Amino acid sequence: MATTIEAVAVASSRWPTRRSARKLADDAIRTSVARAGVTTNDIDLLLNAGLYRERILGEPALAALIQTDVGANPEDPHDGRHGTFSFDVANGTCGPLTALQIADGFLRAGTVQHALIVASDADPGRGLAPRFPFAASGAAVVCRWDDDGGGLVGFRWETSPRDGDLLRARVAFERGRNVLRIEEDPAFGERAAAWAGKAAAALLADHGVGPDDVDLVIPSPLTAAFLDALPAHLGVDGDRLVTVPGADRVHTAGLLVALAAAHEQGRFGDARRVLLVSASAGIVAGAALITR
Amino acid sequence: MMERSPNGSRAPYVARLESVGRCLPATRLTTDKLMASTRHHTRIDLERLTGIHERRVSDGHEHSLSLAASAAADCLSRSRHRPEDLELVVSCSITKYRDDLVQWLEPPMSVAVAESIGAVNAVTFDLSNACAGMLTGVFVVANRIRRGEIRRGMVVSGEYISQLGVNAAAHVRSLMSRELASLTLGDAGAAVIVERAPDGARGIEVAGFTTVSQHSRLCFAYPAKHDLGARMFTNARAIHRVAIADMPFLFQETLEAAGLEIGDIDYVIPHQTSARAIRKGMGEVCEALGDTPRHQAVVTVDRYGNTASTTHFVALVEELRAGRLHAGDRVVLVALASGLEIGFVLFTVDEELVGTYGNDD
Repeated sequence: MATTIEAVAVASSRWPTRRSARKLADDAIRTSVARAGVTTNDIDLLLNAGLYRERILGEPALAALIQTDVGANPEDPHDGRHGTFSFDVANGTCGPLTALQIADGFLRAGTVQHALIVASDADPGRGLAPRFPFAASGAAVVCRWDDDGGGLVGFRWETSPRDGDLLRARVAFERGRNVLRIEEDPAFGERAAAWAGKAAAALLADHGVGPDDVDLVIPSPLTAAFLDALPAHLGVDGDRLVTVPGADRVHTAGLLVALAAAHEQGRFGDARRVLLVSASAGIVAGAALITR
Repeated sequence: MMERSPNGSRAPYVARLESVGRCLPATRLTTDKLMASTRHHTRIDLERLTGIHERRVSDGHEHSLSLAASAAADCLSRSRHRPEDLELVVSCSITKYRDDLVQWLEPPMSVAVAESIGAVNAVTFDLSNACAGMLTGVFVVANRIRRGEIRRGMVVSGEYISQLGVNAAAHVRSLMSRELASLTLGDAGAAVIVERAPDGARGIEVAGFTTVSQHSRLCFAYPAKHDLGARMFTNARAIHRVAIADMPFLFQETLEAAGLEIGDIDYVIPHQTSARAIRKGMGEVCEALGDTPRHQAVVTVDRYGNTASTTHFVALVEELRAGRLHAGDRVVLVALASGLEIGFVLFTVDEELVGTYGNDD
């Protein structure tokens, strides 16, 4: 009995300046829902973990706009329809892992039957983000509760506020206009990998599993330095990591993009123990274990 | 989606509100003074329209993080728990200002709040759900407590949002202005510790939320292009119409889940937008449900304005401080937020929560 990942889909654009984070999310959701063999009306809980969207919208939650776009019970409540609840989760590139844990909680409690997690980022446009560093990309996963099969069995988190200056994204008023500045210290990737390693080690210890017992590691791509340093901190061979060429410019959708790659490569279905690993500004690092 | 407590082996525990705190800036801004600052001569009697006499505003030294951190510290000062006992800190603000009006998107606000109060063992994340943020946070934390995954967590928010009113004052021309609602905003921080209730305690009996997203375009807020801070554009009349249309059905659903009727409820604490809208909205709900709660809906918007995601807990503290809440009182916190988010948290006040404000004047 566990939360299972039913389907995953990626949306990207060859025209980064022409795409919106919302539309990337919409595309990823439509594909993932179709792959899961359900409709958007079957989604009880919709969580958006993307950060960089048109105008850097603060209100409403982008999840509500996405919910309307994809037609997940957008209408006024009435008898016989369960409705959809949606909101945004903001935890940097760890957002999808946090959203997965929230969804897992409501699935475990039997409150919902299907949950959807989406993450996407794109240049906010209107000159708000000069030299926006991240690729326009989005990804979504559909999760459900499985009474018989394996799935997510646990999460672990680590936080290191003293490393909080290593990655910062701030909107400040400069020369008469608001501007988004994203600053990354070269040391960020390595430090993030160290904290991700700690979170993963604690998680594996919780479940009496050693690094050698992990068949597949699905990391948020984050940065090349992060991926280079991660195997040593996890204590696993690099060939067990799923890597996606060019994905180091993918931001919040990174973990889900790597998950999709694992599916496409046929590595996800064959693995008995899968470790999801993510790290983000904060430093916040998290890990989740899937067993079958 | 809705959760009732307790609910069988998959969610055997009940969550309760253990302590609640708030932080209000000392500076008061009256509606008269705010309306006198508008660039255009508007002829709008905002106080008559909304019932808002004044709101608290930052003097520039307080911001989203400091308001959240001070509210969290206030909450802990009334709690049995130490900061290091917190297993989860969830920050739920719309605004994420530090250093006056610098909006931080990364790292998340929750990391900084946890660090400032010494919650060294807490997992942290932010969630964002407009003015339903804190109640959504309570829903998420309560879910983990109900399943036995954690024993306690803090939900916190700091809203430095009065700058939207400053910007609106430069643009509002008439009653039809889509920035009129920005003039109702005030600054505040709020925090609540949610924990596992003792066996047999009622605690949070029902919590339920839905997003009626076909109305998601009725309110937008984002960083201003050429003004400091942000601007918000709202169709307040349409939001009010939808709320009146949808609220009775959802309120009834919540009461049925708890096996209660509206007459069994002692206090309703709605989201604080305008005193007039609250009274009219509650009137419609009561008419549809055929009875009234034992007391009139709680209104604090006259003193504090609309403090966004913090309003319910600013009001809850107000009622506790005034000694109006007693053990056994059933309270419904009602979320109504851009999205359109509608949610209910129905809980019973217990002796311990009342006692956290027992020694205040």
